[in-house]
Amino acid sequence: MEREITLTVNGTDHELSVEPRTLLVHALRDEMGYTGPNVGCESSMCGACTVHVDGEAVKACTELAVRAEDAEITTIEGMGEEGDMHPLQESFQAEHGLQCGYCTPGMVMTASAFLEENPDPEREEIREALEGNLCRCTGYQNIVNAVESAAEEMRDSPMSPETATGETAADGGTVEEGGD
Amino acid sequence: MATDESPQEPRPEGVETVAAEDVDAADILGSAVERREDPSLLTGDAEYTDDIQLPEMAHVAILRSQYAHARIDGIDTDAAEGMDGVVDIYTADDLDVSGNVPTAWELDTLREVDHPLLAEERVRYQGDAIAVVVAEERYQAHDALDAIDVDYERLDAVTDPTEALDEDAPVLHEEAGENTAFEWEIGDAEATDEAFAEAGTVVDLDVTNQLLIPNAMEPRAAVADYDPGDDELTVHMASQNPHVHRLLMSGVLDHPEHKLRIRAPDVGGGFGSKIHHYPDEALAAWTAKRLERPVKWQATRTETYLTDAQGRGHETHGEIAIDDDGNIRGLRIDTKANLGAYLSTFAPAVPTYLYGTLMSGQYEIPAIHCEVTGAYSNVPPVDAYRGAGRPEASYIVERLVNRAADAVDADPAEFRRQNFVDPDDFPYETPVAVEYDSGDYEKPLDKALDLVGYEGFRERQAEAREEGRYLGIGLSCYIEACGLAPSELVGALGARAGLWESGLVRFTPTGTVTAACGTSGHGQGHDTTYAQIVANELGVDYEDVDVKEGDTADLPQGMGTYGSRSAAVGGSALVKGAREVVEKAKRIAAHQLEAATEDIEFDDGDFHVAGAPDRSMGIQEVALEAYLAHDLPDDVDPGLEATAFYDPDNFVFPFGTHVAVVEVDPETGEIDFENYVAVDDVGNQINPKIVEGQIHGGIAQGIGQALYEGAEYDDNGQLTTGSMQDYAVPKSSHIPEMETDSTTTPSPVNPLGVKGVGEAGTIAAPQAVVNAVVDALEPFGVEHIEMPLTNERVWRAVDERAGATGGDD
Amino acid sequence: MEFDGTVSIADVTSEEVWLALSDPVMIKQSLPGCQFLVAVDDEEVDFDELDESSTDEDPETLPAADPEAIAERAFVDGGRYAALMQISVGSVEPSFETVVTIEEREFPRMDASGEGSAASSSFEMASGMELVETDDGVEIEWWAEADVFGRVAQMGQRVINPVANRVVGRFFDRIEDELRDVQTDEPSGLRDRVSGLF
Repeated sequence: MEREITLTVNGTDHELSVEPRTLLVHALRDEMGYTGPNVGCESSMCGACTVHVDGEAVKACTELAVRAEDAEITTIEGMGEEGDMHPLQESFQAEHGLQCGYCTPGMVMTASAFLEENPDPEREEIREALEGNLCRCTGYQNIVNAVESAAEEMRDSPMSPETATGETAADGGTVEEGGD
Repeated sequence: MATDESPQEPRPEGVETVAAEDVDAADILGSAVERREDPSLLTGDAEYTDDIQLPEMAHVAILRSQYAHARIDGIDTDAAEGMDGVVDIYTADDLDVSGNVPTAWELDTLREVDHPLLAEERVRYQGDAIAVVVAEERYQAHDALDAIDVDYERLDAVTDPTEALDEDAPVLHEEAGENTAFEWEIGDAEATDEAFAEAGTVVDLDVTNQLLIPNAMEPRAAVADYDPGDDELTVHMASQNPHVHRLLMSGVLDHPEHKLRIRAPDVGGGFGSKIHHYPDEALAAWTAKRLERPVKWQATRTETYLTDAQGRGHETHGEIAIDDDGNIRGLRIDTKANLGAYLSTFAPAVPTYLYGTLMSGQYEIPAIHCEVTGAYSNVPPVDAYRGAGRPEASYIVERLVNRAADAVDADPAEFRRQNFVDPDDFPYETPVAVEYDSGDYEKPLDKALDLVGYEGFRERQAEAREEGRYLGIGLSCYIEACGLAPSELVGALGARAGLWESGLVRFTPTGTVTAACGTSGHGQGHDTTYAQIVANELGVDYEDVDVKEGDTADLPQGMGTYGSRSAAVGGSALVKGAREVVEKAKRIAAHQLEAATEDIEFDDGDFHVAGAPDRSMGIQEVALEAYLAHDLPDDVDPGLEATAFYDPDNFVFPFGTHVAVVEVDPETGEIDFENYVAVDDVGNQINPKIVEGQIHGGIAQGIGQALYEGAEYDDNGQLTTGSMQDYAVPKSSHIPEMETDSTTTPSPVNPLGVKGVGEAGTIAAPQAVVNAVVDALEPFGVEHIEMPLTNERVWRAVDERAGATGGDD
Repeated sequence: MEFDGTVSIADVTSEEVWLALSDPVMIKQSLPGCQFLVAVDDEEVDFDELDESSTDEDPETLPAADPEAIAERAFVDGGRYAALMQISVGSVEPSFETVVTIEEREFPRMDASGEGSAASSSFEMASGMELVETDDGVEIEWWAEADVFGRVAQMGQRVINPVANRVVGRFFDRIEDELRDVQTDEPSGLRDRVSGLF
């Protein structure tokens, strides 16, 4: 019943065997060890599991792993450069845009996809863009501040979002996931 | 929401963070340093319970009752046992432990009832655990749930506390005989009756404080591992209080406490829901022990809706008496509190001592009487949820005060001001058994009124009404109580535990410091604030202090994080520990510096001889000497550490004023925020940015209660708001921009002068919003609307009043 | 949950509608997702056995069937019937093992109650209908009260109501289609034979 698939996550190819019904988020977390995306609702309401699939923000709890074959997947682990956080990650810290951190990977991934489309958003637009990502801790205001500040930082900095997210990073090799 | 075509609002002012390395060591306490826990949470390095993978780990799923109330005539697990990957299935008959989930609080009149880990012959809420499936894979465990056949005989259900207390109501626990869980009162009934008899004006109000579902973003989870060689049982779980869980679970599982380790890894929020001892985590632990194999149980969101302890659930009749001079003379409260199907950990305390004791609000009220009847009903256990009793108290008090002001034709701000406890009267003893530590209530009121532009508001409101726009302003002058203590007192009130806290401060030989505390943060930034506290006390670099929490294996004892107690009680325990360390270091320094201990002064991390500042020694050098132990005073043992137990003398009482300004569309019932101002006094602030974040988040949950949230059940006790689609956890667009500020009235109770901040926003916000909406709809004669103030309810309230007054429909 | 409605069918007699709605075979064929619908005697119903013994081939219904044969197998007052109903609700497709009891059946009125259970879900239902003859046909006035439990209930009325409406809507559409055949079959004298039964 299981299918052999290859998923490209943060520039690295992973060969793994999954059931057709295996959700992308479980493949990422349980099979490949990318535990950044979190499962909050299993119904694409909360957004804690958000990752990028070919640059688009996707809720990995309602996406099948087999459907993500041939796509470039980026998780929170792939944001920023080794040792340096992405401007969004930095501004979430500077603006206190997180508390328990459970929604945070999804927030950052949604925000980064949004800023690619709209690099100079109004606060209201940020709030709308984050509607699919629930946070129970912060009351959102400092998250909005973080996205606003990061947008400014990213407009001023020469580093393009693509470079920053590592989405165009060179092939990082192939990893075979041990069956279990 | 109505469209808002106003130009882009600028970002509200807020506290600016600083990097820790940019702060002078002497200024670390009180600085808004960036949180040190953030990089791991931001990069995916964090470890939540579901991130833990152990070799050979099996997965547990729990079959839950589909009925709110039923007899179980049989459970057939045969088909499920034969399914792929199923390791075993357990029902109540398989449990070989006492398996009764206890409550940690007693009341004189409490009718305690059994709460088995797995339902035996009866289920009492939709979600009651019936069977445990263990399977090799996560999906297989859930698949097998559907194949278990339970033979139910459905019984009538009751979910409303008032109906549950009716003598015709279906009785949940036959051993209790009726659904009354307890009857409790506080205050002086006779004096209150007299006050009402003499009062010029009496106003009353019936309110429902609806059931809420906490909705921490991380659903509860446990990974349990058993080592039969030494009988060690380890449970990694999403816990707010690992030591409390260890104590309770050791009893539930008959497992020796010293052989049980509870470890809270990163925890994705709690808001109270991860305080309590539920059956599920214990079932996972029992299963790991039974199978001698690690297991993981990860709740689905559906399970959190069905089983997480819910909050509030009050139906209250309140009355307030005012004399002809506009002074409040008395307050009378009668509350029916929903406790759900079983008594949860702190359930008996929440609607009693955390509720009735707050009825004086910020006011001097000579006579108060509050009676509460607790009711069992067919909803999940009800227990502490952010605020726990205090939001319910604050809500009824501030709604009544608002109506009282109306009734005597007074300005709501001035009416409150007139009745405030005078700043010179602190400590202030209320008629409901508590003594407020410190307060200066006019300061946050004035600041808030100034920020919101109160002076010009009525004029703007009148102008807007002429244009057919309905603006309203709502005040909430709230009081709250944090850090319940001392233990002797809480023991007398019924706690089956003390509410002290423990802190360990330990130097290493190289001068770095480990600080460990028995609290257990889950998003509050304890690593940062505790490091600030300890660095400040010891005069060492903030970066030299490492903070540990959440693991019973390598920490002192502890009581955990809830009730906004961590800074006030846990932080103070660390202060006490640090000061003991400094005392010992001082004796070593005196010896090294060849001076008498009394002549040694300590500041900014240096010991020096009074009057001879050159003769000095840093505390980190002293630490090295303490461990080298080559040259210590005769009566000083090697090493430099202390474990302190801190039991406060009293609660601390934060306060503040929140003001909501709304515009209500009577045609559609839509509510738009024009402004939300919060001025809070939480005593001294260790990290003002973290304080701000706590206030923001608290307000969001308070607004959630006011406008969006509510657990609803049908006549059969079926939860009809059982998903994020049906239960409205506020989204980013639901929460307005908040303007926050503070005043500082230090608490005299603890060495830090702090009061607690985690729940303030949640306690303050609901009545600010409701008061504002009612104010906006004053022209329509609307006097009250029950929370949540959905568009439909607002529209109906307007529509009904229009009908009642013969206005057009 | 309560539902009710009125369905008008033109150019039929109330006797024809009554016969059609009394026919377990017609009902089974018209109910979306109904795997079988058979009379049962035992208190305990073995659905696995019924499922195995049920066949895809049903006896003929109106207009092809002999009205007397239908009258023979028609619902009886106090009768109990077992049905397996597969209904897709949201992302799940539970099979409800359902037992229906005809509480009262007297032309032109019939009341029935039912209970169904599936994995992690169940329902209880009371329903009824009455036929009213009009100038151009018959109106079926129907009502139902349903209580839903477990996983399906948790999906909320937002999900359940459309499902219920879909099931009811398709059911009456099918009944209407079948009865239209009765009407077009008039030259065979079916109408007379049906009314002859009353």
